[in-house]
Amino acid sequence: MLTIPFQHGLILAGILFSIGAMSLIIRRNIFFILLSIEIMLNAAGLAFVVAGAHWGQAEGQIMFIFILTMAAAEVSVGLAIVIQLYRRYRTLDVDAANEMQG
Amino acid sequence: MDLLDFLKILPLVVLATTSVVLMLVIAFQRNYKINFLITLAGLILAFVSLLFVGTDKPLQITSILVINGSSVFYIGLLITGCFIAALLSYGYIEKYKGNREEYYILLIIATLGSSILVASDHFISFFLGLEILSVSLYGLIAYPHHMRQRIEASIKYLILAGATSAILLFGMALIYTVLGTMEFSRIAISGTQPGNQNVMMLAGWGLLTVGIGFKLALVPFQYWTPDVYQGAPAPVTGFIASISKGGMFALMLRYFSRIDIFTNNALLTLFAVIAIASMLYGNIVALMQHNIKRILAYSSIAHLGYLLVAFLASGSLGPQAVAFYLVAYFLTTLSAFGVITLISTPDHEIEELNDYESLVWRHPVLGIIFTISLLSLAGIPPTIGLIGKIFIAAAGVQSSLWVLLGSLIVGSVVGVFYYLRIVITMFRPPEEGFEPVISLPTILTTGGVVLSLLTFLIISLGIYPLPVMQIISRMITTLP
Repeated sequence: MLTIPFQHGLILAGILFSIGAMSLIIRRNIFFILLSIEIMLNAAGLAFVVAGAHWGQAEGQIMFIFILTMAAAEVSVGLAIVIQLYRRYRTLDVDAANEMQG
Repeated sequence: MDLLDFLKILPLVVLATTSVVLMLVIAFQRNYKINFLITLAGLILAFVSLLFVGTDKPLQITSILVINGSSVFYIGLLITGCFIAALLSYGYIEKYKGNREEYYILLIIATLGSSILVASDHFISFFLGLEILSVSLYGLIAYPHHMRQRIEASIKYLILAGATSAILLFGMALIYTVLGTMEFSRIAISGTQPGNQNVMMLAGWGLLTVGIGFKLALVPFQYWTPDVYQGAPAPVTGFIASISKGGMFALMLRYFSRIDIFTNNALLTLFAVIAIASMLYGNIVALMQHNIKRILAYSSIAHLGYLLVAFLASGSLGPQAVAFYLVAYFLTTLSAFGVITLISTPDHEIEELNDYESLVWRHPVLGIIFTISLLSLAGIPPTIGLIGKIFIAAAGVQSSLWVLLGSLIVGSVVGVFYYLRIVITMFRPPEEGFEPVISLPTILTTGGVVLSLLTFLIISLGIYPLPVMQIISRMITTLP
């Protein structure tokens, strides 16, 4: 069976992470921002799984399960706040919600 | 994991149980007062159960948590801080017209997350504790959600904390890839081997430092702090400033002491630069602010810089100085935000500097309490803040960190200006026909009594700090 070298997995994770980070900076719509955070988190999760497979340990996958759980919790709270954002500002653009300056 | 291990983590179990009990009680009957009392009972119970946790020898619980003197001390500090914050919030949240009861659930869960952080000895518990803390903070910041400001602050915190968690996790993943372990103690051993010093490891360290810097709001990762401090409800701001940052700092102390940061010159220099930048930036920018909550936000950036000085002092005094300063900082910050909480309502926060004009004349007790907490933040005798700074300076002198000490002194001197500016505003005699903007509460409320007690502690521990020092020297041994 052909095994994939763990460096390739890490490179993929790195690319995914960079895509997520880039879109986090570029996007202004709150949904896309939440999505890019998800991409970054899953990139980290992928890196954990790859590393766990490399060391032959279960820890990487355990960590991935925790990341999934936490991302779900974060998104559920996040979406509740997004609904409030839309109610108060009538837009999903985060730049609208930038009134505090100092 | 046997019964003894279970006893050792009893405080965490009690906190978790309290939050479940609160949810069940709300499901049956919404009653603000009963929920509040259950919260207090749960916190007292957690604190009492902490006393049964022996600290004579450190105990590892399934390699994820470690219960030793310093974890017990910090968990106790966090529970006390949450207790004070809950008491201060009572009157404020009572005036909120929406659902008030869930506030205390979030408060307890956030404290639980912070307590897991200070006891963690493994990346998994580090991550879990951090997320339990952050996710409940999103909810707390947006709690009175009828105001735009709250939503803005919560969104900002949500995006930044989420992105930071991802950065932190990626850093952890890289370190795990190189070392094959996520336990702090084993990272310490294999991290120093020459074969493991490569680019990936360095990137992992870098990402981890960025993540921790964001959570502690150190320069140059401080941008979220003023907005979140201003936008969050006053009691929550006090909670973020004390419980969230305190827990994170205690964790950082354990993590970097385990891996022995003091032998790594590059990391030491990096943290020294961050510390100096935080002290100077925080104090100088605070000079230009007109909003009390923003001033306190910048002041908290500076205070975290002071704490870093103690953290970088490698001697035996370092961890003890951090512990004492955190005690002083908790008491003082909670007291300062307590005053703002007491005169504000969820619909209208009294946060502009002008609103505080002649507060001492209009409400002498609150004015004096606020003055004393500001003096303690500035480090003017006879307050606990001064003793904390002396402790830090002593730790710095012991390790001869002269540059850091110099910035600490410069920062403190600049700091005195803006703290005194608030004090002078409050002492200005009222003009003729002056209409008070603030509806003044009586001191005989829950919050008022707690504030008076806090002020008493700030002063009395400032004059006679020995009891706290004895507890610290017993609990905090050299290895946190």
